[in-house]
Amino acid sequence: MLMFAVRRALADMASHKFLHTVSIVTIALSVFIVSAFALFFNNATDFLDAWRKGVRVIAYVGGPVKDDQRAFLSETIAKLEGVASVKFISREDAFNDLKEKIGDQSSLLDGLDKNPLPDAYEITLTDAYRELTDIEKLVKKVAALPGVEDVEYAQKWLLRFNGMYNLFKATGMVLASVFFIATLLIIANTIRLIMYSRREEIEIARIIGADEKFIKYPLFIEAVVQGGIGGVTGILMLCLAFAAFVPNFAPETGFAFFEMRFIPMRFGIAIVLCSMLIGWVGCYLSIRKFLTY
Amino acid sequence: MDQLEKVIIRMSNVSKRYGKMDALSGLTLDVHENEFVFVTGPSGAGKSTMIKLLYLGETATEGEILVDGINLARITRRQIPQLRRKIGVIFQDFKLIPTRTVYQNVALVLEAAGLRPKEMHPLVMSALEWVGIGDRVDEFPPVLSGGEKQRVAVARAMVGNPKIVLADEPTGSLDPDSAARIFMLLQIAHRAGATVVIATHDQQMISSHGGRVVRLEKGCMTPQNQGGRPSC
Ligand SMILES: Nc1ncnc2c1ncn2[C@@H]1O[C@H](COP(=O)(O)OP(=O)(O)OP(=O)(O)O)[C@@H](O)[C@H]1O
Ligand SMILES: [Mg+2]
Repeated sequence: MLMFAVRRALADMASHKFLHTVSIVTIALSVFIVSAFALFFNNATDFLDAWRKGVRVIAYVGGPVKDDQRAFLSETIAKLEGVASVKFISREDAFNDLKEKIGDQSSLLDGLDKNPLPDAYEITLTDAYRELTDIEKLVKKVAALPGVEDVEYAQKWLLRFNGMYNLFKATGMVLASVFFIATLLIIANTIRLIMYSRREEIEIARIIGADEKFIKYPLFIEAVVQGGIGGVTGILMLCLAFAAFVPNFAPETGFAFFEMRFIPMRFGIAIVLCSMLIGWVGCYLSIRKFLTY
Repeated sequence: MDQLEKVIIRMSNVSKRYGKMDALSGLTLDVHENEFVFVTGPSGAGKSTMIKLLYLGETATEGEILVDGINLARITRRQIPQLRRKIGVIFQDFKLIPTRTVYQNVALVLEAAGLRPKEMHPLVMSALEWVGIGDRVDEFPPVLSGGEKQRVAVARAMVGNPKIVLADEPTGSLDPDSAARIFMLLQIAHRAGATVVIATHDQQMISSHGGRVVRLEKGCMTPQNQGGRPSC
């Protein structure tokens, strides 16, 4: 029974090549766009995570710090929620560090008769405490401590990226649902057109004793195969696009701690399965309207 | 003796209305197993309607129809295909699927009944050879002549070895030679044990056979018909 249905479904697809091709291409495009968004989020999420891991908050102390004050600040900061470690960086250390970094040009600094750098604390955050809001809370607390003049972290940049990320996420979700519905309608419509073009044949099949399964199975198989092929094609398109663009793009970004990744295998399979499921539902919708004994 | 024969089609007080139009009114009729019945009457009398009611192409508005013991008014969705597999239907316009070969058209019946391709093959071939189309199995219906198409349709109707054969104007669009050939095939089917009901206004066919004739007029059975009782 199922073998028959598969055979007939394939034969029917062959005889409605154009209809199926158009439908598959459209599904592939939808899947491409949706999975491109998925790719972006995956990477953006990884990127944010990687960046947060590297986040260090630097608290600058105004004026030279006395030893007891230094210990007090160290302890107070260390006790704050979300702080993994605190490291005091004296102005001398910072100055030497700077000298080392600029190397050959260190003579530039010779002109300075005084070290212009302040004492500072470098604060590392615990893993659990890396949300933007958490970081800002901490920054406020540190800034309120006596002696702390300024607190620095790549705030604006992170804020902007975070905002963009959220906006994209919302857009992506809206788009995904639009394409979901579009794919559903496309498949439902294709099946409806096939049923319409074959209404005479279906009518004849009924008269000679075909049951519902005999008529429905091939249509369901066609819809699911359509969804499957469309899904795989869409993912392959993304794969090609990724292979073509990403290598040219990654090195220039200069984020050594981060590398663009393709969507995980599991995710790709889920998208294809989803697209097949959409095929099934689309077929169900159009059949429910048309096929009643 | 007549009483002992099994009634295979029983229509009691059957009416069919399309809107306000009575296509059939109060039709009462028994057909026995292996009977050969003509249903005749002028155009619009309800012949096609009666045939449709028997294979459930339409459902009766009133009355009771029993086909091989199944009450068509109480039939379940699952039983409908089973009922139709007991019936072979032949139409004036052949109703072949143009995009499928002659072989596939006939095989469809057995496919729908769940047979395997290997089991189907000899049955399909012998049905097509029986109607004289055995050498054109891979052609498509549109290239066949009217008579040939109808022979394929007869093969399709008979391939499942149905208990009942219903034919609605089977010779209506055929030349006399082809018509005679189709009619002959139906008679062979009858001799092989099938119950045959033919709706036709081909008087020549009726008189050459001389079987039982049911006359309809404006949806009613006329007094001079054989068997059953006049309905209005
Ligand atoms: N689907 C339908 N909707 C409305 N009226 C219908 C329908 N089918 C049949 N009729 C009407 O029912 C009546 C009987 O039709 P039917 O087709 O049974 O006649 P018939 O005896 O087969 O005629 P003919 O010899 O011309 O084929 C006709 O008046 C026809 O117009
Ligand atoms: Mg008619």
